[in-house]
Amino acid sequence: MSHILSAQNVNKKFGSFQALKSVNLNIDKGKIVGLIGPNGAGKTTLLKSVLGLDSCEGDLKVLGIDPFKKRADLMKEICFIADVAVLPKWIKVEQLLHFTEQTHPNFSVEQAKQFLAKTKIKMTHKVKELSKGMTAQLHLAIVMSINAKLLVLDEPTLGLDILFRKQFYDNLLNDYFDNERTIIITTHQVEEIEHILTDVVFIREGEIVLDANMDELTSSYFEVMVNQDNYEAALAHKPLTMRKVFGKHIMLFHAHSREEIELLGEVQRPSVSDLFVALMQEESA
Amino acid sequence: MNTFKALLMREYWEHRGAFLKTPLIIGAITIVILLLAYFTTERFDLKINSGQAIELGAKQLENIDPEKITSALDIFMLSTGSLYHFVLFIVIFFFLLGSLYDDRKDGSILFWKSLPVSDLQTVMSKLVTAIIVVPLMFTACLIISHLAFYLVLSVLLLFNGVNPFTLLWANIDYINNWGAFLIGCLAQAAWALPIYGWLLFASSFSKRRPFLLAVFAPLLAGFVWYWYNAIVEFNVLKIGVLKTIGVLMAKATTPFTSGLGFDFENVDFDPTQQTNLELIRTMLNGLTSSNIYYGLLFAAVVIALAVYVRRFRNTT
Repeated sequence: MSHILSAQNVNKKFGSFQALKSVNLNIDKGKIVGLIGPNGAGKTTLLKSVLGLDSCEGDLKVLGIDPFKKRADLMKEICFIADVAVLPKWIKVEQLLHFTEQTHPNFSVEQAKQFLAKTKIKMTHKVKELSKGMTAQLHLAIVMSINAKLLVLDEPTLGLDILFRKQFYDNLLNDYFDNERTIIITTHQVEEIEHILTDVVFIREGEIVLDANMDELTSSYFEVMVNQDNYEAALAHKPLTMRKVFGKHIMLFHAHSREEIELLGEVQRPSVSDLFVALMQEESA
Repeated sequence: MNTFKALLMREYWEHRGAFLKTPLIIGAITIVILLLAYFTTERFDLKINSGQAIELGAKQLENIDPEKITSALDIFMLSTGSLYHFVLFIVIFFFLLGSLYDDRKDGSILFWKSLPVSDLQTVMSKLVTAIIVVPLMFTACLIISHLAFYLVLSVLLLFNGVNPFTLLWANIDYINNWGAFLIGCLAQAAWALPIYGWLLFASSFSKRRPFLLAVFAPLLAGFVWYWYNAIVEFNVLKIGVLKTIGVLMAKATTPFTSGLGFDFENVDFDPTQQTNLELIRTMLNGLTSSNIYYGLLFAAVVIALAVYVRRFRNTT
């Protein structure tokens, strides 16, 4: 089993709508992969197939298991948070922990209690009595107490304020992640997670448009901050995108003509969100 | 680790009110009715006879043939039992209708599915809750309610100078009446299984209103079948599907009568026999009917479909 996840020619149709178009993707152990795409690009469809929540055509294996056929087996080794609001409202925290302990062979209830001790959540609370942020903390505490090989987070911090979001990713990185584990994250708040990612996958209209390692990605593109004087010269190199900040033009280029353009202004590392916007526009142009 | 037990506990936690409080509240209501009846009678008695009639009446009780007291108590225990069966069916009806729908509606299905529990186990836990766990809880609550009722009655008897032990407690046929209720639960589960399976399917399949699918789809099928026979075959008496639904509903709501046939000749019930034992005998006889196997077959098919749909339907 070389890859944690391997997808070969995966397709998914809803009626006549092709939600996934021959997706090929391999994810290795120890990576934190950001799956990034606009609304309706097929991120959730892909993740649903990966998690065994829906069927798909093609060859999809997660930890060597066919997810849709053997979801229950797969869930012993992976876990996921699909949205903040998915914990049942009526359940008490202690019941939730007890249930998870009874059904999950790799769950440590002591560890979950340790995580929860750092929060304001009490064992006697019902989920409906918790705030949105606390519900996310509770869910994260459960998920982090599961010794899983793969963790999938689909918009885990949707609707949370910035403090909770930051804490959420801090906890994830400091208390959970190690090189034995693999994480796949989708979110619209790319700038908040780009510093923790090792790899990014861009998906657009059901197709993978980019699958690269972060270092590779940031070295194959670069941004130049150009003065008004060099504007025309820089424009001649056909930047991918351009934006104006404080009277200066920030242009994004492919790395192949770097040596010439470098001289025209101050070079910076592009952010994933800028690259994302650039690549999405390039594809649709 | 005990997945299936945890799944059953889960249903209990979520539906404690319906499974436990409902039967206890009915028990409390029977006691309230007893007290109201007693105090109303006493009030009239005080007004008309300055309170002697009740005392005299109570004394008269001691002269009644104990067998007659037993049979009166049988009637009380069996009729409250029948009420419990009916309520049990209603409780299970709505429990099953929501069982594979509510978690899709609030999104919590994605949490349940993130645990290593298969969809077959999930659906089976709902079914076992419906045919075993809840009936046992209702049986326990019925016993508690009867005992509480008799305790209150004992106090009333004591007030009127009657010994409740010789008059009441010694004449109760505990085993056969409670046994009849329990076997009634078994007969109910067996006859209602196609209905329960259909409810699971409707709950798993429905995207918006499981109730409409569960109730109106079979009725529609029944009407179509009726009018097909009436118009094409010119047979206005053939009610087929609707009759089957009606018979199943009757047996599922009042399992005490589930052993009885529908024609006069088929009524296999002798009311001069000891009632509770006769009930048990006819219910068990009813279970040997071949019709029950068609029901079980239908239940197996729709439950399998419910599991199949559960695998990919995660939203509403």
